Amino acid sequence: MLVNRDTFLVVSATILAFFLLIIGFFILLGKPPFEMIGMLLTYALGDAYSISQTLAKTTPILLCALAAAVPGRLGLISVGAEGQLYAGAITGTAIVLAAPDLPAALMLPMMLVCAALGGAFYGYIPGILRARLQINETITTLVLNYVTVLWVNALVFGPWKDPASQGWPATITFPSAAILPALPASRIHLGLLIAVAFAIALHFFFTRGASSQKIQILAGNRKVGEMFGLNFGTWVIALMAMGGAIAGIAGIAEVSAIQGRLQPTISIGYGLTGFLVSWLSRHQPLIILPVAFLVGGLVAASDALQLFAKVPAASAIILQGMLFAVALAVPGIIKSMRPGYER
Amino acid sequence: MQKAIACFENVTRRFGDLIAVNDANLEIFPGEVTAILGENGAGKSTLMKLLYGVHLPSSGRILINGEPSAITGPADAMINGVGMVFQNFSLLSALTVRDNLLLAWPKTPYWVSENNKGTKEVLANLTRLAPHINPHSKVSNLSVGEQQLVELCKVLNISARIVILDEPTSVLTPAESRRLHGFIRQLADEGVSVVLITHKLADVEACADRIAVMRKGQIVDVSPRGQKSMSEIVTLMMGSDVKREISPPALPKKRVEKLFLNKICATAPGMSLKDISLSIAAGEVVGLAGVAGNGQALLAEVLAGIHPATSGDVALDGISLIRRNQMETLATPLGYIPELPRKNAVVENMTLAKNLNLRALASGKADVNNEVQDLLTRFHVNPPEIDRYASTLSGGNLQKLVSARELGRPRAAILACYPTMGLDISAIQMIYREIFAQAEAGAAVLWISEDLDDLIAGSHRIAIIRDGQLVAVKDNDGKLNRDTLGAMMTGLKPERKVA
Repeated sequence: MLVNRDTFLVVSATILAFFLLIIGFFILLGKPPFEMIGMLLTYALGDAYSISQTLAKTTPILLCALAAAVPGRLGLISVGAEGQLYAGAITGTAIVLAAPDLPAALMLPMMLVCAALGGAFYGYIPGILRARLQINETITTLVLNYVTVLWVNALVFGPWKDPASQGWPATITFPSAAILPALPASRIHLGLLIAVAFAIALHFFFTRGASSQKIQILAGNRKVGEMFGLNFGTWVIALMAMGGAIAGIAGIAEVSAIQGRLQPTISIGYGLTGFLVSWLSRHQPLIILPVAFLVGGLVAASDALQLFAKVPAASAIILQGMLFAVALAVPGIIKSMRPGYER
Repeated sequence: MQKAIACFENVTRRFGDLIAVNDANLEIFPGEVTAILGENGAGKSTLMKLLYGVHLPSSGRILINGEPSAITGPADAMINGVGMVFQNFSLLSALTVRDNLLLAWPKTPYWVSENNKGTKEVLANLTRLAPHINPHSKVSNLSVGEQQLVELCKVLNISARIVILDEPTSVLTPAESRRLHGFIRQLADEGVSVVLITHKLADVEACADRIAVMRKGQIVDVSPRGQKSMSEIVTLMMGSDVKREISPPALPKKRVEKLFLNKICATAPGMSLKDISLSIAAGEVVGLAGVAGNGQALLAEVLAGIHPATSGDVALDGISLIRRNQMETLATPLGYIPELPRKNAVVENMTLAKNLNLRALASGKADVNNEVQDLLTRFHVNPPEIDRYASTLSGGNLQKLVSARELGRPRAAILACYPTMGLDISAIQMIYREIFAQAEAGAAVLWISEDLDDLIAGSHRIAIIRDGQLVAVKDNDGKLNRDTLGAMMTGLKPERKVA
């Protein structure tokens, strides 16, 4: 059965608890709660424009979630998608700045590959530190996040600044050959297609075939894996780099399709949002897909809500935070209420 | 006749299929030191954890001062004046000795100053017991022996009427042990009941008033000190009247060296192996005896290619088996049964069928063969359901599952660590039969065990490991016995018999 009774109970209790919380939140803000919830739904899915906004937010969240899920399958806790996203943005932009006159047929693949390599390199560093020196990957990925964000600043304030921008810290606008194709009059771009393709491919990678078993053995019991000739270190490096590559593509997709140039703020915390999406979905790509869409909708709608309903700017983050807190707490609370539960 | 402060009445405790304590009857009197003597796994600690409330009895009851015990957990036990010092301590190593004592003391005020009354009171016992320990030094700077004493102070500070000590002298130096023995006597003279869980006869000799002997979960004897000779007590403890029917296959006529360990050195946190050399021939069973924690686990992992060796080599038929560093990859050709199968040998979130086929799965073959059902039956794995998850099996059945994987097919060499741990008699016989069948077919067998009787009965040669070194390799020519092996294992002289 696709959805069993327990899952159904947990999911519906989570949604109910979330709605109760946001009703309370809007009451605290002095806004009519049901009207606000109605607006949230409208701004997420109400018309073509809203859906386009939602999918635009879904894309980087989905890619970042997959980036956390890949090492997560081995039991690694990588919070580095944010940094890897910026790393991909830098290396992807580098190729555009180095050869701005390439035709699109050459430019787009090269740009994507460079971004993937940049992200992969940025996953490789914590990967090799973990594999060789047993340095905790959560700490290194967390700390390295700050480094690439600052690298982007250094570049756009310095050598890569567009001289024509009159002090605005940004590179030149990307030539049209370097813009990811999008559906007309929308922000739904090629990145979404890539992200969905990745999710499906990863589903098969992690559930069928030889590698899936190897990863499952190593994740379940490292010693047993090593006894039978699997190398934990090699897989750590491979999966960290693979996750990094996926986040790197998220970075260049944002730069190319959404912003059109490299500038300081590429991501509004997509890396961390993706991390939470991945953990909520237990690193299962086919579950990450709808969850990323849901969260993307929430992000897009609360952005709109802030514009049109005059709720504080922080509301978007607060709503997200409440969603994650509820989604993490409710299953645990339900489990603890079951008979026979022991601490 | 004095009245018992605590009394076990037909107490039984089961863990799944395992009966850890079987129908135990025991009285503990105030002002007496009761020693509970038995080998590893005899159920001594479990019996006392029942009194301390860590476990509850499956059947039977415990009386305290003639009333049924209302203890349902350690916190209750402490309120009721029962304190227990465990083998592994519960001190916070980042805090000072004084702070650790204050933390465990129920009367600690919320605000602790340097000179208040509470501080003096919690330190009183420490000064009495271990004047050399500075109360302001951090626990992390103390030796294990000193930590044990601090732990004991914690228990004394709750003014316990029953103090349970779990193997207290195993981590102490001889001088520290002597001081502890003296202190135990002193406590008893003050009217406290002391229960001393131990497998060392020296402890019993030094301070016990009554001696309870446990074997395989049962209390086989309780007698006052002096009533039985120490050799009688040893016989009770070991149950030497029960002989296991095991004997290794005859050695092949021609000796062909098969598994060759050449000066292996390796380090792990807290343990290092130094220059271990040993050669095992085809068809030979070499037993490795040693007190647990002397490097057996590390040696096994080096041989199985899990832990890298810093120098030296291991060769099977001339082909090297070990890893030089973490980045090397190596699938061990050994049939390897690690200790603690749940932790070291199975993937719990995989099915039994997959666990039996880990070799194939790890080398990239996705198909699971059909022998698995036969293997489960042949090795008495219960229940023999191939689609069951390994996490649902009991420890003993996991042990059998791992044996099925490692012994189910012919291997060039076998490395078995405590392969019969937690198994019942018929399963033990089955495991030995399978190991010896492998030897008969030409495998070199290295068999790590603590069970000296089985090692003497079942190996061609016995090597002794102590402190990460092989201190002796003896031909098992009928002259080896528990005492000579035990002496080599501990580095003490065999004649140091206590009476």
